[in-house]
Amino acid sequence: MGAEHSFQERGAKRSRSAMDEPAISLRDVTAGYDGRPTIEAITLEVEEGDFYGIIGPNGGGKSTLLKVILGLIAPMKGAVRIMGLPPEEGRRHIGYLPQYADYDKVYPISVWDVALMGRRSRRGISPWYSSEDRRAAEEALDAVNMLDHRERNIGKLSGGQRQRVFIARALASRPKILLLDEPTASVDPEGQESIFALFSELNKEMTILLVSHDVGMITTHVNKLACINRTIVTHDEPVITPEMLQKGYSCPVDLIAHGDVPHRMLRNH
Amino acid sequence: MRHEEKVLAVIAAATILVILALVSFSGYYSFINRMFLAGILASLVCGVVGTFVVVRRVVFMSDAIAHSTFGGIGLAFLLQSALGWLWFDPMLGAALFALGAAVILSMGWTRLSVREDSVIGVLWVIGMALGVLFYSLVDPRKVSLISPESILFGSILLISEETLWMMLAILVAIYVVVFFLFRDLQILTFDEEHARISGLNVPLINFILLALIAFTIIALIQLVGVILAIAMLTIPAAIAGTFTDSLKSMMLSAVTVSLVLTAAGSFAAIAMDTPPGATIVILMGAVFIAVMLVRLRTHGGGAAARKGA
Repeated sequence: MGAEHSFQERGAKRSRSAMDEPAISLRDVTAGYDGRPTIEAITLEVEEGDFYGIIGPNGGGKSTLLKVILGLIAPMKGAVRIMGLPPEEGRRHIGYLPQYADYDKVYPISVWDVALMGRRSRRGISPWYSSEDRRAAEEALDAVNMLDHRERNIGKLSGGQRQRVFIARALASRPKILLLDEPTASVDPEGQESIFALFSELNKEMTILLVSHDVGMITTHVNKLACINRTIVTHDEPVITPEMLQKGYSCPVDLIAHGDVPHRMLRNH
Repeated sequence: MRHEEKVLAVIAAATILVILALVSFSGYYSFINRMFLAGILASLVCGVVGTFVVVRRVVFMSDAIAHSTFGGIGLAFLLQSALGWLWFDPMLGAALFALGAAVILSMGWTRLSVREDSVIGVLWVIGMALGVLFYSLVDPRKVSLISPESILFGSILLISEETLWMMLAILVAIYVVVFFLFRDLQILTFDEEHARISGLNVPLINFILLALIAFTIIALIQLVGVILAIAMLTIPAAIAGTFTDSLKSMMLSAVTVSLVLTAAGSFAAIAMDTPPGATIVILMGAVFIAVMLVRLRTHGGGAAARKGA
């Protein structure tokens, strides 16, 4: 459909400008609030085309990491680059899906207006969204299969549907990178599977960085994985290593290995 | 435009036309005519700005702005009395204090470990206390003083022709600003973090919203007074918020609700010889409580029962 077409266009552009710069790069970043670091010495490189998963316990610094990438808080130490640019400029390449819990569920707004919001980063003095804005919002809603619901109120959707609308908002700016914060929290298991299928589809066209405290679903879809708990342990395969467990993630082993996961999550040790 | 929105627009337009016809042909005293006209202007303003107040949940911030105006009005009379500045209109003082309160409230105190509701409470009482203090220092022989009671609770005798022109100017200015900033105000009130990531100037838009509220309150206190202004600002929008699902239709509904209830309250006040400001507010409050009861009956029973079980 239209959405895929435009994403392909951008795909072509991307390979032409295939910079040596990674999509997201953090070098030795320490950040936090009120002078107290919540993440320390984080070095992370997300290459273009990656589907990068970062897992970590609640309070492990996932949100701080995202805020640093989005340029909402400045790191105390270290450097952040988005497509080779500082976060304030680079974030225009990012479509961001915030945590579900942040929304006002009784706010009077339609699916269509939420999707259009993703276009506001394109500045202008006109008080209306342009036809180009409307086309982008339409494509984005189409890509997440929510175009038929465009007139509905956001508060009357199921958790999974609502999440798709906010993914559409993130896609409406035609980003190169998708940043996803706990995308399947409060989505039922069936909805989770279809949302991850959507991410895999989108990953053909764009880089994805996903953070979650939920280990199960992530490891079956991402191609790279890291664990964050104040410090970070990265790995170039979607496998949890004992080192990650010891250093990064204080989660019981049986919980991580639990469930019918189609591949081994723990190496022999 | 959807069907319900058309119906609302027709009701709003019909109410305005009926009142205008009444004002033109009824032979009411001119101050009663001006009350009806002020009611139309106040409703057109409060429905639009009140919608943002309700969805952003800044009702009490707005009320702090409203109460702070009493200090400004007292200051105006004091300057008239002590310095002979008779040009210093009470509404100029009110506007200065309201904008000052808006500046202070938009300074982001939370990150400085000062709690927002504390700031709200302090501005509220300081405004009132300054008003009382300034009033006590005024020499009533030198100025045409308006009683504190009329300022606080409204008095239709105070609505002059200039008052109506001022309200019209505020109305036009507010509509222009909301027209151009509608999308940004929508993004700010729906998802502030998204506004920041989109590169919008969040502190500036936040201040503009509070300034819109400040000017709305200046318009509203002409009709209902300092203390009751918050009722007109929030009750119609709160009623509209229970049955609308877009910001624009909530604004239209709030304007319509306010037009109808303000007109009805004004008639009731004339018929019963009661203070119009208080009568309008009581009517609005009664309708809001009725809406709450209806919601409780149709939606809340199940939830309450589940909680009890």
